[in-house]
Amino acid sequence: MSAQLEIRDLAVRYPGRTERALDGVGLDLGPTDLVGVTGPTGSGKSTLALAAAGLVPRVIRASVSGSVTVDGQDAVHATAAQLAGRVGIVFSAPALQLSASKPTVREELAFGLENLAVQRADMDERINAAMGRLGITHLAERDPLTLSGGEQQRVAIASIVVMGTDVLVLDEPAAQLDPAGTESVAAMLAEMAGDGRAVLVAEHAPQILLKTGRCLVLDGGRVIGETSPREALAADRAVGGELEAMPAVGPSVRSVPPVAIAVSELTHRYPGGIEAVRRVSLSVAPGESVAIVGQNGSGKTTLAKHLNGLLRPDSGYVSLDGKDIADRAINQLAGLVGFVFQNPDDQLFNNSVEKEVGFGPRNLRLDPASVGQLVDSALAMTGLTGRRAENPYDLDVSTRKLVALAGVLAMEPPVLVMDEPTMSQDPLGTRRIGAIVDAWRGAGRTVIAISHDMDFAARHFERIVVMRGGEIILDADPGSVFAASNTPLLATTGLRPPLGEGVEGEI
Amino acid sequence: MSSRPIGYFKPGNSWLHRRHPVTKLLGLVAIAITAFVLPAWALPAPALGLVVIALSSRLGLQTLGSLRLPALLFGSILLVNAFFFPGPVERIFSFGPVGLSWTGIVFGVVSAARIAIVFVASILFLFTTLPDDLLEALVDKGASHRLAFVVLSAIQLVPRLQGRATAILDAQQARGLAVAGSLATRVRALVPLIGPIVLGSLIDVRERTLALEARGFGARRDRTAYRVVIDPPHERWLRLAIVISLLLLIAGVAAGVVR
Repeated sequence: MSAQLEIRDLAVRYPGRTERALDGVGLDLGPTDLVGVTGPTGSGKSTLALAAAGLVPRVIRASVSGSVTVDGQDAVHATAAQLAGRVGIVFSAPALQLSASKPTVREELAFGLENLAVQRADMDERINAAMGRLGITHLAERDPLTLSGGEQQRVAIASIVVMGTDVLVLDEPAAQLDPAGTESVAAMLAEMAGDGRAVLVAEHAPQILLKTGRCLVLDGGRVIGETSPREALAADRAVGGELEAMPAVGPSVRSVPPVAIAVSELTHRYPGGIEAVRRVSLSVAPGESVAIVGQNGSGKTTLAKHLNGLLRPDSGYVSLDGKDIADRAINQLAGLVGFVFQNPDDQLFNNSVEKEVGFGPRNLRLDPASVGQLVDSALAMTGLTGRRAENPYDLDVSTRKLVALAGVLAMEPPVLVMDEPTMSQDPLGTRRIGAIVDAWRGAGRTVIAISHDMDFAARHFERIVVMRGGEIILDADPGSVFAASNTPLLATTGLRPPLGEGVEGEI
Repeated sequence: MSSRPIGYFKPGNSWLHRRHPVTKLLGLVAIAITAFVLPAWALPAPALGLVVIALSSRLGLQTLGSLRLPALLFGSILLVNAFFFPGPVERIFSFGPVGLSWTGIVFGVVSAARIAIVFVASILFLFTTLPDDLLEALVDKGASHRLAFVVLSAIQLVPRLQGRATAILDAQQARGLAVAGSLATRVRALVPLIGPIVLGSLIDVRERTLALEARGFGARRDRTAYRVVIDPPHERWLRLAIVISLLLLIAGVAAGVVR
């Protein structure tokens, strides 16, 4: 059988850009081929995925030369009808995938089948099979918009898998998934290729790349290598170069003393009665660094959003330095507890990076000189000094996440809370965020991060809190939490001990 | 976890919830027409009807709550007409061209009442009709599913914008912006909200386009439906009854029987 996905000399340039997003890319995928694509942020991975799925230039305008052929169909000039059912694309963010208009997960999955005119009688069987593959059967009757980010992403993957296309393209599908979720997606992709499909997956996650047969390494829109997964992983870590030395955290501008946090018997229920957090108690001493880990939907974000009053407990309380925060407004707590949202788009609203980063310190009513000093130092730490005049909306998602982080760093909060800081970062970005955590700790401030990246958690945090089903099941230093004896317990909440030196050693 | 609302739908199983969406839509249209063709003295009849409908479907309090915002509109309709009613009317008192007139007050009350009736009927429709059911029902009755999807998106637009505004307000407060307090503070808090909401909506449109394209929306004309909205014979009889009553009413008004 001939190639199912055939790309020849593909070049793509977006309107208003001088450099090409892709340049001279060629690729052949036959049935049963599982091929990875890796490379740093901005190397063209997403553009390649969009073009392979026929969305560039039909939906996203760009000038395109070269050819993309899917299942014998020219995808560059095809209509939606000609491509529907031939190729499916999974994006990294569920917002790009879900119709957001269906009341249940089951109906959300049915949406694609309806569009392909699948008979009603065959729908449930296909939906059940897709839900089984992604481990979301228990979510079938839930409203997709009330699920956690990782749960939504599994629904998003299922929503394309259910369509049963011969060619499947995925753009960082595991960015929001817990380790077990990432592994099950990796296994599923291998299985789908085994069934005779052609699968192209852009990723940084080793669990997924190691399942591929071969990998394309992109840099600056060009293929710099087509290699074995192991070589590609090593190349992915090497491209982008070394992190420049992290500027030391200067003397405190705001000089706010460290703060102790105590959460006591906290319970939070969402409308509809789902208990996201159940009677959780947790104390964090001033200057401590704590990583909160656990499977998608285990209540991590819900718990963290109580620390600065974004959510209020249904019972129990949160205190800062022994004082209950129940009657303090979110903005009054902002100077003490900085919160970096998982989705930067929930957080960015100014039209330049500099204004965005200065928004917080200005609200703290600091004098202009101090604001300037804080902004400069936050931009230096996040490596954004050269991009201060740009509009955050023109930046890619990993840079937008750094802007969001800088906006909170600039407030110099004694407690820094980050929700999935390394999500959608390439290896260089992950190292940068690790260095920021270390610098913040070094200055004697508290850092609390939610993360699915066990490697990151083990390397940069002195304490790991493991959550499952809204409760804390383990709370200790990384060495004890990731001890071999805990592996079965960790598995119950979708976690694996960090791959750490093991994988790097293998490479 | 996001908890973006997906519509005004209030889950329930009242007699009104159980009606076919097209029946309810037709009822809504009939009430809207009635509210504007009936003479003023007869307006309490549809108003009373709506109260009975709201109470019998256990939505009394929620309907009352939804009137808070448009109350401002009704008030302004009344005021503008009371003071600025054009033409040679008998004024209770006047300053130059402007003055309070009985004609204006009566006209204002009647206009506000007609609009209030349409508003309450629409709210009851939205409260008891799942947008998805409406969409499927309309497609089943021959509407283009693209058009139906546009209608659905329009219904969901306001709650989506509200959800977006809440997310941005949360983020701004988390960065120290005061949004509660004096009126001046509240107004100041509104300004930084407008840009991101507009921009966010545009991004939203782009994201939704990609999502719909990726899911094959609009790719085929012979689309199938997962959700089945049953339309038993009694619903059809009910719709016929609504149409006949409405025609009789219009005929009655036209012939001068109802004056």
